[in-house]
Amino acid sequence: MEAEVKDQLVSIEKPELIAPPNWEPVIMGILCNWCSYAGSDLTGTSRIQYPPNIRIIRVPCSSRVDPWFLIKSLQTTADGVLVSGCHPGDCHYISGNYFARRRFLVTKKLLNFVGFHENRIQFSWVSAAEGPKFAKVVNKVTEDIKKLGPLHLYKKENFEK
Amino acid sequence: MNYTKEIQDIAAKLFAEGKIDVFVGYRVNGFDDNQVPVLITDPQDVSKLVFTDKSVFNLVNYLKNDHTRRKRVGLVVKGCDSRSLNLMLTESQVKRENLYVVGICCEGVVDEAGQKMQNCTDCMVPDAVVSDELLGTPSGSDTLSGSYKMNADIAMLAEKPLTERAAYFEEVFENCIRCNACRHSCPLCYCAKCCIDQETATLYNGANTTSGAFHALMTWSLHLAGRCVDCRNCEKACPSHLPLHLLHKQNESVIYENFQEHLAGVVTGDRGAFYKYSLKDPDDFIM
Repeated sequence: MEAEVKDQLVSIEKPELIAPPNWEPVIMGILCNWCSYAGSDLTGTSRIQYPPNIRIIRVPCSSRVDPWFLIKSLQTTADGVLVSGCHPGDCHYISGNYFARRRFLVTKKLLNFVGFHENRIQFSWVSAAEGPKFAKVVNKVTEDIKKLGPLHLYKKENFEK
Repeated sequence: MNYTKEIQDIAAKLFAEGKIDVFVGYRVNGFDDNQVPVLITDPQDVSKLVFTDKSVFNLVNYLKNDHTRRKRVGLVVKGCDSRSLNLMLTESQVKRENLYVVGICCEGVVDEAGQKMQNCTDCMVPDAVVSDELLGTPSGSDTLSGSYKMNADIAMLAEKPLTERAAYFEEVFENCIRCNACRHSCPLCYCAKCCIDQETATLYNGANTTSGAFHALMTWSLHLAGRCVDCRNCEKACPSHLPLHLLHKQNESVIYENFQEHLAGVVTGDRGAFYKYSLKDPDDFIM
């Protein structure tokens, strides 16, 4: 059934038709080492439950996140992306997340423009002390993406062209 | 708009004075009245040069190759071309003292069908911003704080539902044959080794497929975000006639509306929107 579905069109309208039973989304979580990664660590040590759909990658700073990472993960495995960094003003490298913020907005708007639902690309600021907030964010992202269903956009491998 | 004689005189004078080694201009292509770029090294060939409203290509692109690198170059630039030249100067790709720039106060160029090009009807910077010599009468438009003209295609597509946009771009990416002519024709894509060429890199999908084209075109347009000057050299070079300007104009409109930046390349020394930040940048899309 998955092979018949060529794009996201159906998956937005009728997620229950597309999603196989027991389907779980894959979410790429790209977390900054100094705040969000430590925040997710705190969530774990505080024994707060959050969905296991998120696959976490640790980066030195949110400005390390090349828009390429988002494009590549949406193009291959992930059904959604969450990028998280320090709050504005708290960046370990003084201004990294300010630069990142501009890139994130442009990337998000561009991906939305070519047809990705805006909930598939999400960003958050989570500090090292915000364990409960991290759990809340991951819960929300997972719920959003479960509603949207699997991503089938631009995955066609048409070699016979 | 016809500066053929002026440009021939200037080129002849520069060669006579020994100021340049190469002159980059336009000549008639020999089949019809369309024009192609020409690199002139012999003063006798100066009579080949023309400049009319069919001079569509961005000649700054020819500053990247070995025929002009480390040489003294004379060059014809229109408004949009001069902005890309400005960015190349800012990014230290060419040296200003090696260039003699003939700026044009452009009145718009036409495509092969004789229609005025869309970027010319929307043009906000018609006069060359970098020049040693300016031909024509300056329009006097405010390039720094003039009002932004929203591209009609972007406005039309933005109103459509997500599903229709996805179907539209699915077709665009499917028709891409991955020849990378867009990359080659862009004056600002000067990297000796381009990231979308690296076949062995695991991050990169080099296949000639819809997903490969999606990957390459999106990466390419995001590398040009805040730098693209809308000269449409990529679209003129595209053999599949893809609407590549959509991706660039979308980025440009987001940058212009949200960050209150001026257009790319109008100020020498300004590296574009992604090289600076403001504390007042929009934050509402971040949880």
